[in-house]
Amino acid sequence: MSETPQHLETPAPRSPGKPAAWHHAPLARALVSLALVLALGVIFPAEGAFFRLGTHQGALRQASVVGILACGLLPVILAGGIDLSVGSVLGLSAVVAAKLSIHAGEPAWLSVLLVLGMGAACGAASGSVVAFARVQPFVATLAMMVFARGLAKTTSGGTKVATAVPGPDGVLRYVEVPPLFRALDAQVFGGNVAAVTLVFLAMAAIVGVVCARHRLGRYLYAVGGNEEAARLSGVPVRATKILAYVISGVCAAAAGICQAAQEQQGDPEAGVTYELTAIAMVVIGGTSLKGGRGGMGLTLLGVLTIGYLDKILSINAVPEASRLMLTGAIVIVAAVAQKNA
Amino acid sequence: MSLDGPFFSRRAVLLTPLVLAAGCEREPKGPKKARFVIGMSQCNLGEPWRVQMNADIAAAAKEHPGIEVVFKDAQNDTLKQRAHVEELVAAKVDVLFVSPKEAQPLTEPIGKAFDAGLPVLVLDRAVLGERYTTFIGADNKKIGRAAGEWTKKVLGGKGKVVELKGLMTSTPGQDRSAGFREALAGSEIEIAFEADMKWLEPEARKEMDSALARLPKIDLVYAHNDPGAHGAYLAARAAGREKEMKFVGIDALPHEGVSYVEQGILDATFQYPTGGREAVDTALRILKGESVPKTITLGSRRFTKDDVKKGGERIE
Repeated sequence: MSETPQHLETPAPRSPGKPAAWHHAPLARALVSLALVLALGVIFPAEGAFFRLGTHQGALRQASVVGILACGLLPVILAGGIDLSVGSVLGLSAVVAAKLSIHAGEPAWLSVLLVLGMGAACGAASGSVVAFARVQPFVATLAMMVFARGLAKTTSGGTKVATAVPGPDGVLRYVEVPPLFRALDAQVFGGNVAAVTLVFLAMAAIVGVVCARHRLGRYLYAVGGNEEAARLSGVPVRATKILAYVISGVCAAAAGICQAAQEQQGDPEAGVTYELTAIAMVVIGGTSLKGGRGGMGLTLLGVLTIGYLDKILSINAVPEASRLMLTGAIVIVAAVAQKNA
Repeated sequence: MSLDGPFFSRRAVLLTPLVLAAGCEREPKGPKKARFVIGMSQCNLGEPWRVQMNADIAAAAKEHPGIEVVFKDAQNDTLKQRAHVEELVAAKVDVLFVSPKEAQPLTEPIGKAFDAGLPVLVLDRAVLGERYTTFIGADNKKIGRAAGEWTKKVLGGKGKVVELKGLMTSTPGQDRSAGFREALAGSEIEIAFEADMKWLEPEARKEMDSALARLPKIDLVYAHNDPGAHGAYLAARAAGREKEMKFVGIDALPHEGVSYVEQGILDATFQYPTGGREAVDTALRILKGESVPKTITLGSRRFTKDDVKKGGERIE
């Protein structure tokens, strides 16, 4: 971003109209949504399971992978776009990570680097189509969603890439679970926090700082708020958009590595419909799909709201049909609350 | 950071996916060299079990040099599968295999092919009526019952069981559950926690986490497929409780369930056979002019730690 005009060192984010109101009200409402879901857990504690520490560790661990996707989606949504490909890129990354670390026996750092690079490439591809060909983000990332899923299935040969490795003669031989997968599947800090939760928090911190403190973050808000105004004031609109999708792709790749580590295999079907959950998390937090409004704090609250809702329905063994209806109803309530913020 | 320029012309960006898509299109090979051509219409290759079915058919066909198999994947689209059936009939294959996605919409095209004198083998899922040559499939209820009987035996007739169900709107899920419960009826085995994991391993792990949080003691986990049982095992191991209970799955694909049993992850898996080999054998009998039964119900095998090396044990 060396060619950005010097006089635009600090472009102001879009003027929100009522400065204090828009920042504080969504936060309060996101907190209320989360509190309501937690209250549901207190009312239906499933024979006390809700009050056990393990349940909360589990809720955080289970929300982590989709949470990482939500973190990646935030910059894209702030810039007024959408990325439907994150679930498929997750699946592709899970397969490639498993291929590299289980089958090829590559060291952890190399596998991670290659997979993140591939995620970035997927993001750059969708971003370029959006920025240069001016294809609508919905369409461009829909195409990437289908393409990446196909690539995942091709790479894996249609089956899961697991520790049972088929030899050239078709006989299976068993390899150890690679250190990368064992490390990411572990519980750290005396078994209290899942390693994937730490990855999630780290990604959230990095993306959060970029959005809130870095120049790119201000560009994201500017492009999402009013693209034409941003362009006229010298914001590199195309580069900003592409970088937003690159962040999303890298996050999806990181989520894919975490998913493969927890499953101890690369499943080409991994992450189907995760993009919808991740988008719901971002939106329930209070980030506007129209772009220009929102932030990481709100997204984290959205992740917790959906994550806990999922966990509470699960420990109460609510039947699938009722679960879907309840989730739909609660998402609508939270979304309406945010809409009126 | 200037990305503008000839390399990023709009047309090039737009054309790339089209070119890639065109490259992926694969035409079936013409039925010139082989003596007999089998056309196989698979409803989808998203499930590893169906990938295995195709692999079984291909492997069995390879043993007979005169046979060629043309595979079609309908990608879970009923109308696409209808078109595939019609294409294979038009290509004048010698035998038609169909593993239908749904009964009703595929009954007519399959019936038409049968009426025209083409031998049609329907695999795994049935069609309506009698207008086909042979149906080859397994009985999910029977397999569920076998899993229940085994559970009763290893638990000594009492204990707490977690049931992780496949998609309960699908018949395999319903039958695997019904058969299991039928076998347990009258014993002191209680299904203490049940959840729909929709055939998906991550869902199974999630639901198992909840079961572990609720139940201080679990004796056995019965999952409707092997990935589900594997997910449950991972959840129990993360909680340090995997030694407390047994894990039972269904399907027994070589690289999934059977390999999990070999690795000591699952205690047992019950095979849901693909029937690929039986289909090719039946096709050969038809081509030789022999008569074949209308229905072939496939037998199943149980794989446990003790017999997995010997290829499991046949169950009746």
